[in-house]
Amino acid sequence: MNLHSVSEVHQAGERAVTIRDLDLTYITTVEKKTTFRQALTRTGRKTRQVRALQGINLEIPYGSVLGVIGSNGAGKSSLMRVISGIIPPTSGKVEIAGKVSTLLALGVGFNPRLTGRENVILGGLAAGLSRAEIESQFEEIASFAEIGDAIDSPMKTYSSGMYSRLAFAVSVVVEPDILIIDEALSTGDAKFKKKCLERIKSLRSHNRAIIIVSHALATINDICNDVLWLNQGKIMMRGEPGPVIAAYKESLQVATSPSADEDV
Amino acid sequence: MAQVQVYQPFRRGLPKVLPYFAQVWRRRSFVAEYSRSELRAQNFGSLFGQLWLVLNPLLLALVYFILIIVIGGDADGRRFAHLTAGLFLFYLVTNSLTMGAKSITSGGKLILNSAFPRFVLPLSATVISFFKFLPTLVVLGVISAVLASPVSINLLFLPLILALTLLLSLALALLFATLNVYFRDTKNFLPYLTRAWLYLSPVLYESSSLSPSLAPLKVINPLAAFIDAWSGIIVNGSAPRANAWLLMIGWSVGLMLISLYLFLSREREFALRI
Repeated sequence: MNLHSVSEVHQAGERAVTIRDLDLTYITTVEKKTTFRQALTRTGRKTRQVRALQGINLEIPYGSVLGVIGSNGAGKSSLMRVISGIIPPTSGKVEIAGKVSTLLALGVGFNPRLTGRENVILGGLAAGLSRAEIESQFEEIASFAEIGDAIDSPMKTYSSGMYSRLAFAVSVVVEPDILIIDEALSTGDAKFKKKCLERIKSLRSHNRAIIIVSHALATINDICNDVLWLNQGKIMMRGEPGPVIAAYKESLQVATSPSADEDV
Repeated sequence: MAQVQVYQPFRRGLPKVLPYFAQVWRRRSFVAEYSRSELRAQNFGSLFGQLWLVLNPLLLALVYFILIIVIGGDADGRRFAHLTAGLFLFYLVTNSLTMGAKSITSGGKLILNSAFPRFVLPLSATVISFFKFLPTLVVLGVISAVLASPVSINLLFLPLILALTLLLSLALALLFATLNVYFRDTKNFLPYLTRAWLYLSPVLYESSSLSPSLAPLKVINPLAAFIDAWSGIIVNGSAPRANAWLLMIGWSVGLMLISLYLFLSREREFALRI
């Protein structure tokens, strides 16, 4: 497929992400949104402390595809946001050697009244790319996404599949050093999913670091060479896909259920 | 070897201001592009399209002029010039405030998934309001040429007043953006707040006609001095006095410093709050 040649800038094994003693704690109100009324009647207000991540130590080398698994609320997305620099850690330290691209990171679709094209450009500019960089890659993004003329329609008219196609296209085409894909392959059809997986494999062979958060254990088993299992903000296990996935399934006691393997 | 970024915990307080604004400067094309796209989207597909940017404030001025006639003010040409001058400037500020208030909470996806200085979102709100304001300057030019006093050298003060007004607009956008993250009701109060503020400002009347008991409004109301000075030049050709300059600079710079501190010290928490 080789849509464009991916340049190699890193040595395999060179460290992409280093995380030391990372903790992330935040306080959230039980009510989803605070309002003046609740602030005035403070008595009825309950807060809850969320320990999203606890004592995480992690190193991710270039040339690896790390799958992150765990049940809902395990802290997977929080970890991704800390690695992307969106949420600062409560304690500990995160070092990133390279350019990070989170899927949807380019903020695609943040304003549904604007067209796909405008959203892609705005997302890229917000992420710190230059106009020239985005424009030089725009054609490739549009052709990878295969959404045709819809690129110039407002994004509120998009189906969820078109939406995630565009988001995926943006995040893989901009040549990130470190690519984070957070449960976003879920809405594509089989053909597009296959194309995405091929693209991920090609990035891996060019010594990028890729982190995939997914509940699709079969996909994780297929494309990752390293798997991290998170539970309640802590690392339960890390290593070869086979044993880690087996242990995770064991803990869920769904080892025999085919739905666990089903592609997201 | 690529550059290494380190993310560490932050304490309450400001981020390093110079690197922060260097990041903002790098995003200047985001602000430009966002404003352009947003303006295009707002007028796209409507019959008069871009013309609405002029029609809307003009119709608004006519409606308020009718109000003045009905409640029995002296509804002459000078009065109409004062009304349009004040109204357009007032809407520049409150548009920025209203859009700014929603800028963070409606930027959800971008904020959750992208690391960038959040300052650019309220900044875009102010820039968009400014672009909406620009066409009204043409309308104002025509109206004042016909109805107001002849051109004077004092017109040269207008850009300076406009610059201070923009500073005030940005300060309010930042302040209300922060407030709306913590109190989601804020945006529901805004229509009432801006309406009341309009009546407390010397737009439908002139400051000089305020009764002595209401005179403190000229100082307490941040916009009073701006509208007086702006309309004073356009309608009468008279330059603002020293204390008017002090009020304008005091309000815009003072409010900016407070809002900037609030916004910058809180913005790293926004991703957790929306």
